[in-house]
Amino acid sequence: MSNRRSRQSSSAPRISDDQMIDLVTKLRQILPEIGQRRRSDKVSASKVLQETCNYIRNLNREVNNLSERLSQLLESVDEDSPEAAVIRSLLM
Amino acid sequence: MASADKLINTYVPEKDVFALHFLQSLSNLRTQNPLNSPDKSIDRVRKIKKAAYVSMARAAGGTSRLWSRALLRRAAKDDNKSVRFSRRKRKVTWKISSKRKRSNQRAPVVEEAAERLRNLVPGGGGMETSKLMEETAHYIKCLSMQVKVMQCLVDGLSPK
Repeated sequence: MSNRRSRQSSSAPRISDDQMIDLVTKLRQILPEIGQRRRSDKVSASKVLQETCNYIRNLNREVNNLSERLSQLLESVDEDSPEAAVIRSLLM
Repeated sequence: MASADKLINTYVPEKDVFALHFLQSLSNLRTQNPLNSPDKSIDRVRKIKKAAYVSMARAAGGTSRLWSRALLRRAAKDDNKSVRFSRRKRKVTWKISSKRKRSNQRAPVVEEAAERLRNLVPGGGGMETSKLMEETAHYIKCLSMQVKVMQCLVDGLSPK
């Protein structure tokens, strides 16, 4: 699933460790509450990445579920119902 | 860390932008396949799911982020179309390198978790770890926005 290609450019700005920590902190803020006990720490960095993977998997799963429900809803809508009018106005 | 903030851009558009793109995608699906088309339900679901990801990538900035570029490229390949990329200053090579060169090697435990993340984020395979983190942050924000939009749509359409 990953797109393999060689790294873009050797002159890409190198991010220092401080900025890396800052990025990890930002990621931690985005993730749902995972018990933010420790500050910048190599061990918690990998935990953050782990949580990120889980979070992405959950989001993908939700997209799947919502797609299924949307598919059912869009197909089973009554021609005269108010929902149909909403769809018509939105999609046409 | 002001300089870090300037380097890393995690701006995500408003929810409306995602909603608009998604509705446009759905509308395109509708016009492609008239209501009475004998589509199997699983095909319908697949199309909606694909519309969700593609519209998310477009709403989030099209070809200006690595993950959205990779997503759009993958989707276009499925349709046998080609994606138009704006001219980028840095040359991007698409050769598969046998040995992935990465500078800034982090601790092994971090790299290991990063590998798993690479498989989840579109285009992650070629990214350096720090770039991967940046792209991931943006990807997560956009993905959760897309989920919110879809949830709103489902809620609005569900019978009361």
